[in-house]
Amino acid sequence: MLGPQNQQLNLRAALDLLGIASRVGVITAGWRDAEGDIKELEVHIGRPVIDLMLYQRANEVFARDEPFFRAHRERQNRIKELQRLYRLRLRPMSAAAYSLLSTESDSHLLRPHERAAIAQIRALDRQHLKLIQGLHEAFEREWRPSERPGLTDHRESLEQAVAACDALLIAGGHVAVLMNRMRLFGMKELLRDRAIIAWSAGAMVLGERIVVFHDHAPQGRRDAEILDAGLGIKRNVLPLPYADRRLDWNDRKRLGLLARRFAPTRCITLNSGSVLHFQDGRIASANNASSLRSNGRLRVVRAE
Amino acid sequence: MNPDLRKLVRRGAPSKTAIDRFIAKHTFPLVDKTDVTFIFRGNADRVFLRRWIYGLSAAQPLQRLHGSDLWAVTMELPEELRFEYKFEVVQDSKRRLVVDPLNPVWAHDPFGANSVCQGYRYTRPEWTLEEPEARRGSVQSLSIESNAYHGKREIDVYLPARFRRARNYPLLIVHDGHDYLRFAELKTVLDNLIHCLEIPEIIVALTQSPDRLKEYAGNPLQAKFIAKDLLPLLMDKFPLIDEPRARGIMGASFGAVAALHAAWSHPDLYGRLLLQSGSFAFSDIGPHERGPAFDPVVRFVNEFRQAPNQPAEKIYMSCGVYESLIYENRSLVPLLQAHGIRVRYEEARDAHNWENWRDRLRNGLSWLFPGPLWMVYE
Repeated sequence: MLGPQNQQLNLRAALDLLGIASRVGVITAGWRDAEGDIKELEVHIGRPVIDLMLYQRANEVFARDEPFFRAHRERQNRIKELQRLYRLRLRPMSAAAYSLLSTESDSHLLRPHERAAIAQIRALDRQHLKLIQGLHEAFEREWRPSERPGLTDHRESLEQAVAACDALLIAGGHVAVLMNRMRLFGMKELLRDRAIIAWSAGAMVLGERIVVFHDHAPQGRRDAEILDAGLGIKRNVLPLPYADRRLDWNDRKRLGLLARRFAPTRCITLNSGSVLHFQDGRIASANNASSLRSNGRLRVVRAE
Repeated sequence: MNPDLRKLVRRGAPSKTAIDRFIAKHTFPLVDKTDVTFIFRGNADRVFLRRWIYGLSAAQPLQRLHGSDLWAVTMELPEELRFEYKFEVVQDSKRRLVVDPLNPVWAHDPFGANSVCQGYRYTRPEWTLEEPEARRGSVQSLSIESNAYHGKREIDVYLPARFRRARNYPLLIVHDGHDYLRFAELKTVLDNLIHCLEIPEIIVALTQSPDRLKEYAGNPLQAKFIAKDLLPLLMDKFPLIDEPRARGIMGASFGAVAALHAAWSHPDLYGRLLLQSGSFAFSDIGPHERGPAFDPVVRFVNEFRQAPNQPAEKIYMSCGVYESLIYENRSLVPLLQAHGIRVRYEEARDAHNWENWRDRLRNGLSWLFPGPLWMVYE
């Protein structure tokens, strides 16, 4: 997993680290209609690159299969509505938890309340994720994308393309669009046992759940939210791309709350230049990556 | 009086060397937590501080300090306040207005430059300064044959960096667009806000009037020019989202009047309005006292207040607390809200000037056109 690539490119170094010398595939669906614009990428990594073009493939599928497209759109609308309802509950719960972390009291009296408040948020997060997964499962059952004629051709072609690559790159961008397209084409199966290098939104979709966050939005601070289930390829890690810019580092309580909310999953910062190298399920090496602790401070991530 | 200045003059007229040292050591005006001291150095009969703060006398005299060539006046100043000023220097019965020679901070407008007093803890927003990482959009010129005005009009169009024909964009139409570029750093602001994902990539049409006091004063020709000449041309030339929620119109002062009038004249066309220090003069009882240029404005605003309908779905308004139009702006807000319009209204400790409008652009633009920062992780 890497940090954003727009300031400090370390993609080539990551490929060298993995010993990938030849052809790589890339998923740039998060770039939406800029998908496929990979000239700069090719120059940087100095290897042949094939873009799997998931965004464009999805557009073709939707153009040819109107009922499927409508059903897909309807599912997205229902997920958006779930998100709105989740947010209505999340806001007061987060405010309560934060107030408790900020209040002065006898710690013996306070701690049970703190724990209960955080437990409430975690339960809400679990419920929200379950409801979203329920919508995905219902959609799969009814529409069976893996058997749908327009999709099966693409899936076969993707299988061949992935098989011809030594590694797969997953670029950042719009995380919801990226996840949708990867789910649509069953990429989780195709990525199994492959060398993967993912940055920003690309790293986010690899986890068990996708969490969106930003403490400096111009219209005011919002609580971090569970957006969707991820591919579940990388467990126990919650990537936080551009954490140095997106999180409020002056508010340790808020940061500590974030860490406690998602524990034991580690919230790990992925800033420019960050590298997290996983091998056999462990962190084999790390650079410029830190995990968020329950006291709101950072601990440098090291090899395990 | 500022403590350092008090020290300088406590034993009477300071020497030239002492004054030289004092000036070299300080920035001017001298801003303390609760007040500001203005210093003028020079030979004069009288010196006045000219500032544009509604409710205060326009000219405040400076006092000569102990017969020296130093003049000073201290005024109270709330935190984060910003205003523009000049010195009026009177010598041999001649009066001249000058920027503060000791203050390098100037603000520019179509009439020239003013000195800027930045109160305690005011800082210029970072997003108004060029950000090296932000990709630069481009500005291209376009000529329109206007039926409304029976002749050619020149406009500029801002295109975001990485503009693509295959994508559809929201549109913002700006009155006094060239002035927004020159005096409110609009291009830099757009580049930065797009870079930070706080607004979407957006196309901006920058219009400028050769006679704004006439064309922007609730003039049907201006509304027609925007809706019937400019908009169709833009829709034809650029890939624009054809929905009111993706179409906004903005302006400041008379430009805000023009924007509101254009939207009111063509309901359901513009979903978003950004109105800064609007010259929304009206007269509930009796005639107004703002001069003949305001006559058509008052006619329009009176009519608007009788029947606002719904000129837009969302309206962002801002006004400086030290403007004479603060009352008119404040009174418009509940009227709009009562008609089901979502209104965000902000006031600033500032006055009727371009830097006030500049400093509000982030809040206005990001509220009217929210960007994808929540969803995009590049």
